[in-house]
Amino acid sequence: MSARNLIIAIILGSALAAGIFVAARLNQPAQLQHAFAVPAPQPLPAFTLADQNGNAVTADTFRGQWDMVFFGFTNCPDICPTTLQILANAKRELMDTHLQDSPRIVLVSVDPERDTPDLMGRYVDYFGDGNLGVSGELDELTRFTKALGIYFEKMPADGESYSVNHSAAVLIVNPQGEFSALFSAPHDVANFVHDLPILMSAD
Amino acid sequence: MPTLRMRMPVFVLSGILFAACNGESDAPLVASDVVISEPPPGRAMSAGYLTLRNNTDDVIRISGVDSPQFGFVEIHETRLDDGVASMILVPELLIPAKSSVSLQPGGKHLMLMRPIGTPQNISLSFYDDDILLLNLQAAMTRRDN
Repeated sequence: MSARNLIIAIILGSALAAGIFVAARLNQPAQLQHAFAVPAPQPLPAFTLADQNGNAVTADTFRGQWDMVFFGFTNCPDICPTTLQILANAKRELMDTHLQDSPRIVLVSVDPERDTPDLMGRYVDYFGDGNLGVSGELDELTRFTKALGIYFEKMPADGESYSVNHSAAVLIVNPQGEFSALFSAPHDVANFVHDLPILMSAD
Repeated sequence: MPTLRMRMPVFVLSGILFAACNGESDAPLVASDVVISEPPPGRAMSAGYLTLRNNTDDVIRISGVDSPQFGFVEIHETRLDDGVASMILVPELLIPAKSSVSLQPGGKHLMLMRPIGTPQNISLSFYDDDILLLNLQAAMTRRDN
């Protein structure tokens, strides 16, 4: 083989290898970058809470759509409204660019003492239409949160100004009503926009 | 050390008048990116976020903030420990020389409590004890971070 032919062969070989590499990359399924997918999605426990209209919220309420579930309280001035706004922005972006059926936003109050259904309704509506505000009796709330590994604790304080420490993760519940993935705090719109379509297409 | 200030007259005890409006970029202490987020319906507390720039060669200490539109204002910090969010009072905020400190969502922030009426334009004063460091004005805005 002449030197000229050898050079041509090397160039063609390199181009073929590069093409195979690119094709392999393109065929790879997209990878989650932020969410932790639960290996065996976990059915929600038996519990009964209430939505903002006073209707019962049970495990069945979470069937039929994807849900992004955050545990917080309306008297929380920083991380709760920040997280809900991030979820609202992510939902809007997903609806604009990726998904017709973007997940529902669910706020479960870890302060049932103060968060009445009416208050929950006005609060979640502020972050968009179709959001679900869940509150109810403390023992039912505890039954729900314990099964999902969600922690909350009322902190001692004078009068009504107490705070509540709480898990800051966002849980993803699939249309079968199963806890299927988790986003850890701190949250960012881009994390949800990247990973939610992957989670939802894999279901 | 006072960390909670009710509305009170301003007494400038220092010979150096630090007070400046947020538009004066060469002032000793300058505020930028000020956001006072309106509370969601049914809630009274607002959160405030901003960046404070110390243009001096010394540390600036902020030990109190007040506003005529609120009963009291405190600096708080949201902390994340093992995925659990909690909030603590920040009794004083130190801004190193020639440096900036940002108060932002999910971190240190202003807590504006007990609003007087439904304020839309907010005045804030920052102090080191009784020394007025900075006055600023900002409109209450809808949260969109």
